[in-house]
Amino acid sequence: MTLWQLMWRDLKSILSDKDLVLTIFGAVLFYSVLYPLPYLHQVPTEQNIVVVDHDHSSLSRRVIRHADASAKIRVQAVLPSVDEAQLWITSGEAHGLLVIPEGFRRNLLLGKGATLSYGGDASYFLIYSAVVEGLVSAGMDASKQIQMVGLLARGQTAAQVEKSLDSITINSVPAFNPSLGYTPYVVPGLFLLILHQTMLIGICILGASQWRKSGYWQSVSPLLLVSARVLTFSSIYAVLATFYLGYCYYFYDVSVLATISEVSLFMLPFILATAALGTAISSLFVRRDLPTQFFLLISMPILFVAGFVWPLALIPEPLVLLSQIIPAVPAISGMLNLNQMGSGWLAVLPQWLQLWALFVVFSGLALVGIKYRQQQSLANRHLTE
Amino acid sequence: MTVKQRCLSELTQLWRSPWQLAMVSYIPLISMLCLWWLFSAGLPRQLPVAVVDQDNSQVSRMLTRNLQANSVISPQSYANLATAEADMRQAKVYALVVFPVGMNKDLITANKPLIDIRYNSQFLLVGKLLSSQIQLSLGNGLVTLGAKKLLLSGTHSESLAASLSPVTSQTTALFNRNNNYVGFLVPPVLIALWQILSVFVFMNSLNAELKPAEGKPKLAADFWQSVIAKVLVLTPIMLVHGSFILVWLYLYLALPIAGSMGLLLIAQLAMLIILWVIACFIFLIIREKASCISICTALFAPAFAFMGITFPVNDMPLLAQWWRLIMPSSHYIDSHVGIVSYGEALPQLLTQLGSYWIFLPLIPLIFIFSRFAVERSSIEPEGGQ
Repeated sequence: MTLWQLMWRDLKSILSDKDLVLTIFGAVLFYSVLYPLPYLHQVPTEQNIVVVDHDHSSLSRRVIRHADASAKIRVQAVLPSVDEAQLWITSGEAHGLLVIPEGFRRNLLLGKGATLSYGGDASYFLIYSAVVEGLVSAGMDASKQIQMVGLLARGQTAAQVEKSLDSITINSVPAFNPSLGYTPYVVPGLFLLILHQTMLIGICILGASQWRKSGYWQSVSPLLLVSARVLTFSSIYAVLATFYLGYCYYFYDVSVLATISEVSLFMLPFILATAALGTAISSLFVRRDLPTQFFLLISMPILFVAGFVWPLALIPEPLVLLSQIIPAVPAISGMLNLNQMGSGWLAVLPQWLQLWALFVVFSGLALVGIKYRQQQSLANRHLTE
Repeated sequence: MTVKQRCLSELTQLWRSPWQLAMVSYIPLISMLCLWWLFSAGLPRQLPVAVVDQDNSQVSRMLTRNLQANSVISPQSYANLATAEADMRQAKVYALVVFPVGMNKDLITANKPLIDIRYNSQFLLVGKLLSSQIQLSLGNGLVTLGAKKLLLSGTHSESLAASLSPVTSQTTALFNRNNNYVGFLVPPVLIALWQILSVFVFMNSLNAELKPAEGKPKLAADFWQSVIAKVLVLTPIMLVHGSFILVWLYLYLALPIAGSMGLLLIAQLAMLIILWVIACFIFLIIREKASCISICTALFAPAFAFMGITFPVNDMPLLAQWWRLIMPSSHYIDSHVGIVSYGEALPQLLTQLGSYWIFLPLIPLIFIFSRFAVERSSIEPEGGQ
């Protein structure tokens, strides 16, 4: 059998297997919609807070109005006591509170200073940061207003006042993901992982369903079978990867900085190494229902160890080192650097070479594994004869 | 067979299947501990930040020292912007602070210098944290400059604090006081993992009832009795793993918990029972080993994204909010936060458990499907005689 014929046989057995089609094509399409679905609104806005106003002055009402005007929060109610605010928060109707102390305006006018208290539900970090950012900016605004009135009253000109209020401009700008959106943050890494995991599951299911039956896979040399399998799956996933990295990135507003040739060049060893790893592991499975379970269980650790959810510097060193043998880990970090942060090709060269090295190692393992399976089936046949 | 005998045979089945045995013993332990270890740093600390000091003045060094004093920031000095930018693009540093040329001079001559901050928002969590912390640290440093200026212009030292920042703010993180990521992220991650494990264990056990046959296999007449035995055996086992999560987090690590752990166990039990109902439903419709597992994977793999801990539920699109409800973990996590953070009591928990009502229609459906799927052999022989 030539390589082409073998690849054709592999492709046919993939397409004739309902579970494989579901796992490879169905899951890739389904997850491309499902995973980003919760994050489509990108940024949390208009979080409900309650206000406890002990002051009831014109200034306290202005602070409340300014807080409400912030895009991040919505003032749900003005309550008489903190105890009541606690009820609102524990019942989930509000996620934060602002307490304006008694004598707030009076103390400020007397030049004594006053303290605004903010609280946010830190069981949900994104809500907490939205609430606190909104409230702090409203509080700063009130503070500036008071300072300005004071300085003007002391006889300074408006231009002088502006300068002494903001002596330095701090220009804090997000880089790479300018909207601070959630899909551009999650999608690039996650989609590579989905490609990686579904490919591994697919190859392993195909292997597991073949090893116990006789078929075309027994009559060819291990080298030919491994090459055919790696190439078949790589071609399928090259197509799926163009859908993910091309259309889906565009659809989910992921910032894309690398050229198409750089991305293809980087994806090449990733897909090949994953296919080789899959072929190697597939020789360990004989039950068709196990690969899905195994790979799903390890997908969550891989996602978190890849270093874009939780900073790599804080992950224990042994875990980081161990994770380097999984093709998805160098691929995700390299791809983020290359495509989302525009580091240029030279900076991701180490990851690229690492992926090629993984490809070589896993191909060797795959050869050993396939050889073992072929010998075993041969031995079984002799036994039955 | 009595119930006891059936349970015993379930246990021997569990004992004889190496994969099932692994799934109920060491796999949960290893994966849970690994995931916790990943996040065990808890608080983001010492994140590298590039500081490009083009001013080299007393003020710029004072501001750098202020950054140094912040536990989150670890300033790295860069001589020029180009290398800092390159390292930023490779995620070697997560943010970039530029003190411009002549900053000190501008300050003295009453011009407004501009400090540029760029933070890596591709790594959203780290980026947002650093943005606020850098501004906080710089702001603190600038206050001392402002104080000097005010003193020089003749402000009395007593009124200095009030005229510098008339409104001070006090921010409190409610329920998770030190913004610990272990308390925030690890419980939902582990619950998602536990849900996947539980549904796989149960599904594998159901799959063992399938006898190889042509077309869709029929189930033995005593199918429901063995399902009851499976529930009786597997529920306590998985509940032990669920309570291991609780014991590990809230007793061993002593994370703050306001409510009682007994209530959390009740919530876990309810979640498991609903999970079994869903698994039975899927199994009765599909009755094919690998496909059952694939469907469970498709349903429950994205559970973490839909829980609403990392991204708030009310900011999800409506479709995502509905999809979220078909996963028992999302119902559970609401009770979990309620009990752990807000100290919910039994009545509130029971009303929350009422949200499982959407799964009730599955029970008559299961009944209908089981009439098609289960052989009625126990009646037919009698009729034949």
